[in-house]
Amino acid sequence: MDKNAFVEQLLLRAKESGLDTAEVFCSEKEAFSVMARSGDISDYQVSSSMGLGLRGTYKGKMGMSSTQALDEAAIQQLIEGVKESAELSESAEQDEIFPGEANYPAVETSESDLDSVTAEDKLAAVMNLSEATASQDKRVDQVMYAFISTTKQTLLLRNSFGLNLTATDQAWSALTSAIATRENGTKANGAYMDCGRKFSDFDAEKIAKETADRTVKQLDAAPVPAGTYRVIFFNEALCEMLATFSGMFSAENAQQGLSLLAGKEGETVASTAVTLMDDPLLKDGFASCSFDAEGSASRTKAVIENGVLKTLLHNRKTARKQGVETTGNAARSYASGMTVAPTNLFFKPGEASLEELMANMGDGIVITDVSGLHAGANVISGDFSLISGGYMVEGGKRGRSVEQITVAGNFYKLLENIRAVGNDLLFPGVGIGCPSIDVGTLVISG
Amino acid sequence: MLDQNIAREVLAEAVHTGGDFAEIFMEDRINHNLSLRSGELEQVNSQRLHGAGVRVFNGTKAIYVYTNDTSREGLLRCAEQAAAAIRSGKGTSPVGFSSWSAARPEEIRRMPTDVKAAAKAEKLRAADAAARQYSPEIKQVICDYSDSVQDVLIANTEGVFVTDQRVYSRLRVSAVASNGSENQSGSDSPGASMGFELFDERVDPERSARIAADTAVTMLHAPACPAGVMPVCIDNGFGGVIFHEACGHALEATSVAFGTSVFSGKLGQQIASPLVTAVDDGTIMNEWGSLHVDDEGMPTTKLVLIKNGILTNYMIDKLGGRRMNMAPTGSGRRQSYAFAPTSRMRNTYIAAGNDDNDEMIATMGDGLYAKKMGGGSVNPATGEFNFAVNEGYLVKDGKIVHPVRGASLIGRGNEILMRVDRVGRNMTMAQGMCGSISGSIPTNVGEPMIRVTSITVGGGK
Repeated sequence: MDKNAFVEQLLLRAKESGLDTAEVFCSEKEAFSVMARSGDISDYQVSSSMGLGLRGTYKGKMGMSSTQALDEAAIQQLIEGVKESAELSESAEQDEIFPGEANYPAVETSESDLDSVTAEDKLAAVMNLSEATASQDKRVDQVMYAFISTTKQTLLLRNSFGLNLTATDQAWSALTSAIATRENGTKANGAYMDCGRKFSDFDAEKIAKETADRTVKQLDAAPVPAGTYRVIFFNEALCEMLATFSGMFSAENAQQGLSLLAGKEGETVASTAVTLMDDPLLKDGFASCSFDAEGSASRTKAVIENGVLKTLLHNRKTARKQGVETTGNAARSYASGMTVAPTNLFFKPGEASLEELMANMGDGIVITDVSGLHAGANVISGDFSLISGGYMVEGGKRGRSVEQITVAGNFYKLLENIRAVGNDLLFPGVGIGCPSIDVGTLVISG
Repeated sequence: MLDQNIAREVLAEAVHTGGDFAEIFMEDRINHNLSLRSGELEQVNSQRLHGAGVRVFNGTKAIYVYTNDTSREGLLRCAEQAAAAIRSGKGTSPVGFSSWSAARPEEIRRMPTDVKAAAKAEKLRAADAAARQYSPEIKQVICDYSDSVQDVLIANTEGVFVTDQRVYSRLRVSAVASNGSENQSGSDSPGASMGFELFDERVDPERSARIAADTAVTMLHAPACPAGVMPVCIDNGFGGVIFHEACGHALEATSVAFGTSVFSGKLGQQIASPLVTAVDDGTIMNEWGSLHVDDEGMPTTKLVLIKNGILTNYMIDKLGGRRMNMAPTGSGRRQSYAFAPTSRMRNTYIAAGNDDNDEMIATMGDGLYAKKMGGGSVNPATGEFNFAVNEGYLVKDGKIVHPVRGASLIGRGNEILMRVDRVGRNMTMAQGMCGSISGSIPTNVGEPMIRVTSITVGGGK
């Protein structure tokens, strides 16, 4: 069945079946990816996919279900699923379908040229990227892979009150990873990812050069003795950390006892150097959208301002529970229940360049990458102990690289201990953005 | 699920530009999830996943196209798009289908689709109550129930036309202990390729709740783990994640085929301590990582990966087999039709040895006893892995002194396996979700208690 016809049918039948209110959230995605390995195209993927979720109130309670098939059976399954789910729901604070706002803010987004980029263009680009990476530096002995993907996503939010909102976004990303071999036989690995909306910004030479540079810089890497070190997190590594721990700013988690920021609004929770913004209206932001998953209008806000927690992130349900306004942070996938998530969440950049942060630190370590966050970071306690790489800083200057170290600490405490925020704000293809930040001292083991 | 004539037409279209192999993977899946938070049933969610993918090979190049539109026209469009990516090749003539069903309905005694959501919710309530009863320090309990019935059809130009049904059920309990300024958590997540009989035969929600609560409370009173290089004893069950990350991923064709694995070209050579025998077995009835046929339509196998320290087998999918010039091992797996399959683990474990657990600790000197492991990950380019220790204990002079929190273990797979100097007798398995390029799939990890002579321990002190 055609999507629009299906949605019309579904809303009509939902009403006939006794659902008092209903809402459809539909996401469609077209994706293309191509990978080159060992100097040749190895994998090539094209897809078009769609998922549709139905939420609705039945006998005063909220239920939900979802499908990827748009057939008669799916209409039945969705409506029966919502009813069953609603009947079992015990949530004391019942949710409602939001009818919609009168006006929505505008989001400024650069026009994408991706519709005019052909599969051939992308195949040529990935081969170019692979060859450019291989030929950058004699010490690079293998390009693990070169990868290019493009996506086009469309969101649809419709409800039984007549609300009908859509948003479309397009982006490309390109990634390479290379290997060099150390004298002792162990492998040094470097990777670099770039992304954007306009394919004309894709620069194979730049990505190749950065990948090769990162790889060969790992050749002199060795562990360091265990101890307490002064630490700067490089912007990319800090983005991984902030993405992992961003749930601490969710009012939903706070209300469920899963965030230690519960009830701390108005209190100092971070160093005065810290201002953390959530801005869904950011120009060209990867998570920019004029409405949230409930249909609330998007709004810009400081989560932390000069160290003081101004607000947690709310959807309508968590806001009602706490007697405040929603912050427009309702989020869901078509298949999941309503939750809360940041949009473009980023530390407001400071004045200092990374070099100046290093000069001020004197001796210490710059952490450039962290791995295994799903295992080594506990989002409930804030504790982390992560395998990391980076380089030494000696007398304010870059020294040898370090590898096979762990960096350990607690993210709540890290926010309190921040000494200085850099000016190199980066959004690595997602809504989470960070500049490099001097986080004081952390325990390193190697 | 799919008419054989349409399948034939789609496969013929897929190879008409020179592809030498084509495959259709079709899936229809019903998931049920229930979530209990703060003692309230918050989310009851049913999902239907539906779609198909067409894959074409041209030598060692692979093209994959997928869609939710599984009509004849939708599938032909996929085949056309895939074929369009090939300009010339040796081509193939599709072989006539030999059709069969790999499903074994007799293995499932209570189909989850036939069980009322209310009965599922009871299991969550039992877990929630038991966790809260365990200690007043338990301030939050999150209980999730999930089941899944996945119907698949796999057809290819080599004559495979097979259907299968996979049934999964799982409980997850997370308990959070808090003293107001600090939170610590513990969890237990048992599951199986079973229906609702999981709760009659294998899983006691109250026991899972107590396991989760015990870790959370123990860790709330534990100081930070000291950092350094030390001997480590890793307990059985989920401890097997060390083999999964440190070695398992590097034995998958995905990393071996391109020579990037530290174990490429090492068949027949010693890669582990002679005490280590490791197995990847997809055939164990009802186990979480088992399959009747893999996602390429091949019956699964039991593979001995390492025998007494000697590398004996890799895990190989069809494309990996072409790239390595070796036979596939029934190891082709994918999360769903939205992923092309690749070589993956199933139930992977270190086999039981002959050592005594008490002796292992008593003779280790100063080190760490990792009683419960969390997840981990590995960089396949360098072999560097890391794991979280969810519940660890400091050992001094062969005696367990006190619990420690926030520990992680890091190292290189090829080094760590050589340093195993004890392998215990009581092998058990535990369930996990393994993420890789073909998505997130159910796998078992397992081992008896083992000892590693030295490993880098990350900690907060």
